[in-house]
Amino acid sequence: MKSRALPTLLAAAAIVAFMACLPLWGDDPIIAVGINLLAWVALSASWLTFSGLTGYISLGHAVFYGIGAYVTALLWLSVPMWASVAAGGVAAALLALVAGYPCLRVRGPYFVMLTFGLSQFVKFVVIEIETALQIGGRLIIGAPPIEIIYLLFLAMATAAVVLLAVIRYSRFGSGLRAIQSDEVAAETIGVPTVKYKIVAFAISAIVPGLVGGIMLMRSGYLEPDTIFDPTVSLTMICIAVIGGGNTPATALLGSLFLVGLSETLWVRFPLVYMILLGCLLITFVLAVPQGLLGLLAPLRHRLESRGAN
Amino acid sequence: MIDVVFSAQLALAAIAAGAIYALVATGLNLVYGTLRLLNIAHGDFVMIGAYLAFWVFTLFDFGPALSLPLSVITGILLGLATYKGLVSVLMQGRAHEERLESNSLLAFFGISIVLQNGAALLFTNNIRAYRYFDQVITLGPMSMTGNRLLTLVISTFLALATAGYLRFTLFGLATRAVIQNRDASSIVGINLPRIYLVSLCFGFSLACASGVSVSMMEPISPIMGFGYSISAFVVIMLGGLGNLFGGITAAFVLGVIETYGLAFVGSNYRSLLVYGIFILVMILRPEGLFGKSQATR
Repeated sequence: MKSRALPTLLAAAAIVAFMACLPLWGDDPIIAVGINLLAWVALSASWLTFSGLTGYISLGHAVFYGIGAYVTALLWLSVPMWASVAAGGVAAALLALVAGYPCLRVRGPYFVMLTFGLSQFVKFVVIEIETALQIGGRLIIGAPPIEIIYLLFLAMATAAVVLLAVIRYSRFGSGLRAIQSDEVAAETIGVPTVKYKIVAFAISAIVPGLVGGIMLMRSGYLEPDTIFDPTVSLTMICIAVIGGGNTPATALLGSLFLVGLSETLWVRFPLVYMILLGCLLITFVLAVPQGLLGLLAPLRHRLESRGAN
Repeated sequence: MIDVVFSAQLALAAIAAGAIYALVATGLNLVYGTLRLLNIAHGDFVMIGAYLAFWVFTLFDFGPALSLPLSVITGILLGLATYKGLVSVLMQGRAHEERLESNSLLAFFGISIVLQNGAALLFTNNIRAYRYFDQVITLGPMSMTGNRLLTLVISTFLALATAGYLRFTLFGLATRAVIQNRDASSIVGINLPRIYLVSLCFGFSLACASGVSVSMMEPISPIMGFGYSISAFVVIMLGGLGNLFGGITAAFVLGVIETYGLAFVGSNYRSLLVYGIFILVMILRPEGLFGKSQATR
């Protein structure tokens, strides 16, 4: 493990440096693709921090993204820009803390359905509030230029990946993975399962909340119907399932694959893209549970053994 | 307001809503009870049944007399395909029981996306409806459109047929045994894969048939199934997972809550009400109204 740490760190630093330089020579379409990729890396790495490690599959992470965007929109221009985005992250974490306690009492399919129901419920609450206030949509004026937004997304993606890596190999992460293997056994040997689950749930909500706020600055327009889109949750899960496992590489590989697919298909054939996404989800769950990472594992071993020789 | 609450009209509406929920949820419950797989795409089979009825009516000018048997056949074919392609593969792996449930949920979620977007691709996102048997029929203090009454009749008939199948046939007895205890049923010689296959086909057929009966009075769209999936989940959670008769009772409870709730707060809050009930049920009584508390759930 130790011997691989240095090359991995160097590779990670190289990727971040490369992505940071992209706006220097890339034009707007390339930056747009980059933003997409970084946003999905950030979102899926956050999802993995909770669901990937504990095995509790959240079908409702879009709610954190949505609430982040909504809170940012509410506070926009009444407080400094950074504060409104940060407030989005805090609001998402608070929502996760409040919702996590009752949600995490139930397990397996119950939890999956409950997270989904909860995210839909919050979505309709926000829609009702906006309707009652007679606001069709909120305009965000005075957002920073696209290069700055791009760098913010890079920071988010880096933060989410680092967070996942740090937690995964920490004592806390071992506890979370023990919960996944056997929750009762974990509890018996002294893992504070309830506390761990709720804290992990809240941590995994922060970055999606911030990403929601930054995404709002990018689009410049808030519509409650679209920011709480369940497709956001679905895409996070697809990235994780297609990537395979619960490592930072899962988020990178899965996002790269899915963004590549959506860039080629989504704009022209959105329905075909969604159908393909559904088929991929079924195929990977049934036939390739180890994901792309598992498929690539033999290749990596060959490379490593060659390097050793 | 008070006279609205006590009107026979509203009571009839509640019963009609309950009958539809009972039908949709019974199919879902049958599949969950026997296979222990949560079919989140269940409502999308309702959607398929509704489109079938729409096209049979629009193209051939036939009502449910033709589309109902066709929908049952469609359900059986879809059940066969799902069993061969998905369920047998899922059941093969010796994955942990809870993992199997989560995995099946994701796989069925994939099916749901494919069906919704496939329907949108084939039939466009336009909302469709057709007029069939929509004269107003008056029975004493109550009056309702003919198709609403027909829906009630069809739902009641199908629910009774399902209850009869489970109660009076040998296969139904075996199905109930599997719902009660899978391992014990296997020991006494019940052919589990056969029960799985038949229950899957039966459940899907019920979903498609309820789609036919819904299509006569509700607008038809590719995403209509979603709401039915959610309502069906609320119902089978309330009634207790796998408890068919508890589910039917819960369906009428939901029908009453929804109809009377909307009469008070207005139909704008429909989604809020349904998801609110859903969350409350999941948090307060995940084991159902009639279920016993379990140590792990």
